[in-house]
Amino acid sequence: MTDYFQEMGWRELEDGEQPNHLLHMARFLIDFGMYDDNFTGEWPRLPPPASKESVKNLKEVKIEDENQNCPICLKKFNINDTAKEMPCHHLFHEKCILTWLNQTNSCPFCRHELPTDNEGYEAFKKEKKRSEQRKEDIEALHNSMFS
Amino acid sequence: MANIAAKRIKREFKEVMKSEEVAGGAIKLELVNDSWTELQGEIAGPSDTPYEGGTFVLEIKVPETYPFNPPKIRFVTKIWHPNVSSVTGAICLDILKDQWAAALTLRTVLLSLQALLSAAEPNDPQDAVVAKQYKENPQLFHMTARHWTNVYAGGPASIVEFNQKVQRLLDMGVDEHDARVALSTYDWELERATEQLFS
Repeated sequence: MTDYFQEMGWRELEDGEQPNHLLHMARFLIDFGMYDDNFTGEWPRLPPPASKESVKNLKEVKIEDENQNCPICLKKFNINDTAKEMPCHHLFHEKCILTWLNQTNSCPFCRHELPTDNEGYEAFKKEKKRSEQRKEDIEALHNSMFS
Repeated sequence: MANIAAKRIKREFKEVMKSEEVAGGAIKLELVNDSWTELQGEIAGPSDTPYEGGTFVLEIKVPETYPFNPPKIRFVTKIWHPNVSSVTGAICLDILKDQWAAALTLRTVLLSLQALLSAAEPNDPQDAVVAKQYKENPQLFHMTARHWTNVYAGGPASIVEFNQKVQRLLDMGVDEHDARVALSTYDWELERATEQLFS
């Protein structure tokens, strides 16, 4: 079992560290239903660009099949062209995919997400995952008790 | 226009023309000018919906940053639908906003709009009046949408009772479209519609 602090997303204060009162206030508002946490919903705008690191680490692939399009410019690849491959194995021209990832972090074809450098968005994703997990856990518990 | 946008639109145009949806008459795409920045789309109202039998014309504007940003699309044909403004034709659809992806094409967007006509999203409305009627009085919504399809999109089902009410207001000197909007908004109650028009 994960420990209580970890489950709540908390950590102990460092030596001499004061509690963050704004954070307490925010948690208070959410816990008492005075403010709608939006973690179950969608990120309200276009997700941020992919992280520099993940873009740098994209694989390069040599094209062997000439009947393949770049899904962004829709132009056919030439044999022996080098293309960039996303972790979901979709292939793009380097220029095309870099322009896109500079704007938002997902594969234009299947929306597979790359990590971003935006702390707020990463925290949102983590919290969303946690709230989904919690929902599943509660459901599993409920089913084990009543089925 | 940036080169990549124009080139891509040209390729897409070819793709659409060869597609089975165009052959089947479900969607249509035409050029408006030579610079490939403006196009006109058409979708057929899906069957088993109040839009059946109607043809809906769309204005498509392609931004210079296409395909990295979505095309700007609105309904030119007037339509009664929770996610389309009955006044401006503006559309509320996620893929035309923050859910846009560069691999989407005019063909897939037109098909998505057609799907939107089959399955409205009343909880994310563009037109609050229409959405309210959709939720609170689905049968009346259905008839109103069918009436609009008949009048503006060439749909087959003419609703005599509604036509008569519009005519009554026309006789009082009200503009036809204004009359129809007022009646649709006030659930086809002639008295309330008249009151609103003359207040």
